Amino acid sequence: MKKIEAIIQPFKLDEVKEALKGIGIDGMTITEVRGHGRQKGHKEVYRGQEYNVDLLPKVKLEMVVASERSDEVIKTLAGAARTGKIGDGKIFVYDVAEAIRIRNDDRGESAL
Amino acid sequence: MIVEKARSSLGTIQDSFLATGDSLTALAERTAQVDAVVTQAAEKFLFPAAASGLAVLAVGGYGRRHLFPYSDVDLLLLFESERLALNSREPIAAFLQTLWDSGMRVSHSVRTPAECTEVHNDNIELNVSLLDQRYLVGDRPLYAKLADKMPRFITANRDSLIRNLSQLTRERHEKFANTFYHLEPNVKETPGSLRDYQLLCWLTQMRETEPGRPGQADAGPELAKAFRFLARMRCYLHSRSGRDNNVLSFEMQDAMADQWRDGDPAKWMREYYRHARAIYRAALYQLEANEAQSSSLFAQFRDWRSRLSNADFSVHRERAHFRAPQRLELEPELALRLFEFVARHGIRLSFEAVQQMEARHPQLREHFADPRPLWPALIPILTLPHAPAALSSMHETGALTAVFPELEGIECLVVRDFYHRYTVDEHTLVAIQSLWSLKDAAEPGLKPFSDLWAELAPAAPLVFALLFHDSGKGKGEEHVEASLRLAEKAMKRIQMPPQDQEAVRFLIGKHLALSAALQARDLYDPQTVRDVAHQVETVERLKALTLLTYADISAVNPNVMTPWRAQSLWQLYLSVYNELTRELETERIEIDPSASPERREFLQGFPTRYLRTHRDSEIDQHMALEERSRKRGVAVDIQRIETAYQLTMVTASDRAGLFAAVAGTLSSFGMNILKAEAFSNRRGLILDTFTFADPSRTLELNPTEIDRLRAIAERVIAGKTEVRELLKNRPKPALPSRHARIHAAVAFDNDAGTSATLVEIVAEDRPGLLYDLASAIAQAGCNIEVVLIDTQAHKAIDVFYVTASGKKLDAQRQSALERALRRAVEPA
Repeated sequence: MKKIEAIIQPFKLDEVKEALKGIGIDGMTITEVRGHGRQKGHKEVYRGQEYNVDLLPKVKLEMVVASERSDEVIKTLAGAARTGKIGDGKIFVYDVAEAIRIRNDDRGESAL
Repeated sequence: MIVEKARSSLGTIQDSFLATGDSLTALAERTAQVDAVVTQAAEKFLFPAAASGLAVLAVGGYGRRHLFPYSDVDLLLLFESERLALNSREPIAAFLQTLWDSGMRVSHSVRTPAECTEVHNDNIELNVSLLDQRYLVGDRPLYAKLADKMPRFITANRDSLIRNLSQLTRERHEKFANTFYHLEPNVKETPGSLRDYQLLCWLTQMRETEPGRPGQADAGPELAKAFRFLARMRCYLHSRSGRDNNVLSFEMQDAMADQWRDGDPAKWMREYYRHARAIYRAALYQLEANEAQSSSLFAQFRDWRSRLSNADFSVHRERAHFRAPQRLELEPELALRLFEFVARHGIRLSFEAVQQMEARHPQLREHFADPRPLWPALIPILTLPHAPAALSSMHETGALTAVFPELEGIECLVVRDFYHRYTVDEHTLVAIQSLWSLKDAAEPGLKPFSDLWAELAPAAPLVFALLFHDSGKGKGEEHVEASLRLAEKAMKRIQMPPQDQEAVRFLIGKHLALSAALQARDLYDPQTVRDVAHQVETVERLKALTLLTYADISAVNPNVMTPWRAQSLWQLYLSVYNELTRELETERIEIDPSASPERREFLQGFPTRYLRTHRDSEIDQHMALEERSRKRGVAVDIQRIETAYQLTMVTASDRAGLFAAVAGTLSSFGMNILKAEAFSNRRGLILDTFTFADPSRTLELNPTEIDRLRAIAERVIAGKTEVRELLKNRPKPALPSRHARIHAAVAFDNDAGTSATLVEIVAEDRPGLLYDLASAIAQAGCNIEVVLIDTQAHKAIDVFYVTASGKKLDAQRQSALERALRRAVEPA
């Protein structure tokens, strides 16, 4: 099993969710986050005062999928989240040792 | 044997309830059935071990025979002594196990009579559950001891018991945001639910208990009807879910409507809200009455508040009453004055006032159905410090729909949506409350919105727009258009002035624009910012729309306006604000070819902002003014606009210091400039407008002064009178207190415009400030191309686009001008 963690642009969230739903991925955790990579923050001037906007709003998606599906999921996710500009985000993939459904103690992929 | 019998009879009770919908019978049968099982199990397991000194009591909901199919079975094992209780541990375990095996969720406690008659501040539920105790089986003389002690215990500890119960209730209400208008309510816990009904019963019972006689639990016949309705719902939820489920989810609403109401869940839910409202209202009234009685400090304050009474209304126990309710029939506007009173003082309506208003709903409705100039009477209700409380009272009494029948369609309306927590009417009121909460917002992320709200004037159109923004929901069509139509009708009827109507129309029409951009557009893409800027067109509109969006999102549910979302909204505001102020100078009007040749010539070269900020009728006035200026080279017009005045000047002969000269003339008359704008068209026509307040009411009390001001302004513009001479005698302004001082800031931006430098000055406002700033700019050899002056309480925010010899300012000139401006803004 793989855990896929993606940091994407907030305005791409609906598109990404739809695309993932299209390949049968419904379950995910979504968090509102702030951060920056190469797309550094910038300064805004408002009424003579400078506002530092160094941490940009992003959305983090996390999901765990069967290993053989991870390439397809990553491709779909990246395709939907891409605008081609700086700030599109990143995808991280981790190995998952175990998954347990708390309700009935299902283990492994059947718990996903 | 006990176990099988219990399980099968629960099934029978549920089946017959689902067939008949008779919850009271179901509750009674379930109670009787559990009574039998508990008695049987007690006789089998408990009494062989403790033949005397033990009684089994039903308490809580079970005690009062309101046992829902899957409710906990609350039992009290009353032992004569602790020792006997300790020795009975094994029989107790066997007894409880049998009950659990019978499918009951047993919640038991083991007490002695002495423990039952102590105030348990850390276990209020125990005291409360004992109010409903009922003897089941066992040592009757032992039970009699407790039954005898209870009334004395309640009488002696009434205040602390009521206080504890009130606190428990307030905490529960708080969890549900103090409203019963939840889309998926919990029929046991939300405000106005079964728990509140029970609260009312308990309070009556405690109040009526005397040392030798227990009081009766009763909440009155009207509420008994509400109880029956809610009990039916809860019985249904339990029977359908097969567990203690009390949440009336959308699925359950549908299922229940199918079962009993021609498949219309909306009708069903409206009835639910009506009953919940009756219970909640009565519960609040009781809570407040009790809290007021138990607090002497509050009593003193209450007395103080009663001094607010006036000829129309009296204040008693922190509630407003009509002095002569029958006057409502002759003078329905009295109702509006009462709401203004609430908006001003934050005093709630008395029970009687609510009922008197409800009783006259048809007459009020009929009266307000005719076109009347109500707007001036509505402005205070929409804007005074306690406006949200006033609007909630209007809603509660039905006066809101009497004045605006257009809002009837959203009363108790459930619009099913994953994120929305409240009915549409409640969402609207919560949105208005969210705006008011900004006033005291301390979180750094909310501070900018709070400032924006403090600055906004006039606020009434924004609040009106919030009231109507979703009024078109539930009509089976796109709701923005429907809301606009309804607002249009209402605005016409109350004779709202055209400029306010314009503001409302814009806000309702675009109320989703910022949310849409936040959700689906890249906020850092210049195209997004340009698109939004084109939709909002002016900074004033942007401010109001940002606040409306903030309020609208915040009222979806209490967790939606996260710091993350607030930051995104603020980011969008900043970018669009900067875009709008930048394009002030550059973007010129595209002339409509169908306009008359005179109009085309007049508009040629004006910035787009001119068109956006002026209506057609104003443009006509400006053209007439230009016509007038042809003879003498200048024309000045002064008009009163609501509480302020506006001076418009047109001249063809520009010269250095012209803007400063007019500002100085107004200052010399003691006028306080609130807003100013300068425009010029391609033919070099100068058109400046100044909105100013008249703090000493000179113009109002001496109408001839308007003519004198106009004549002097014309002489100053024509260069025939020196403004310095006029200003010699101007009075020195009083400095605001040290605490209120605003830190002055002067900022330059050479990238903001294509051909001019933007100078932004934030300073403590004072009479004559604009004259001093404009003079400093003129004296530094700079020309004012565009000006945008705004005043927010004591803060002046002035933006000038300036050039020197037709070009942007170089670094040297910038620093010279900065020094001159800093000298000008320093307090004298």
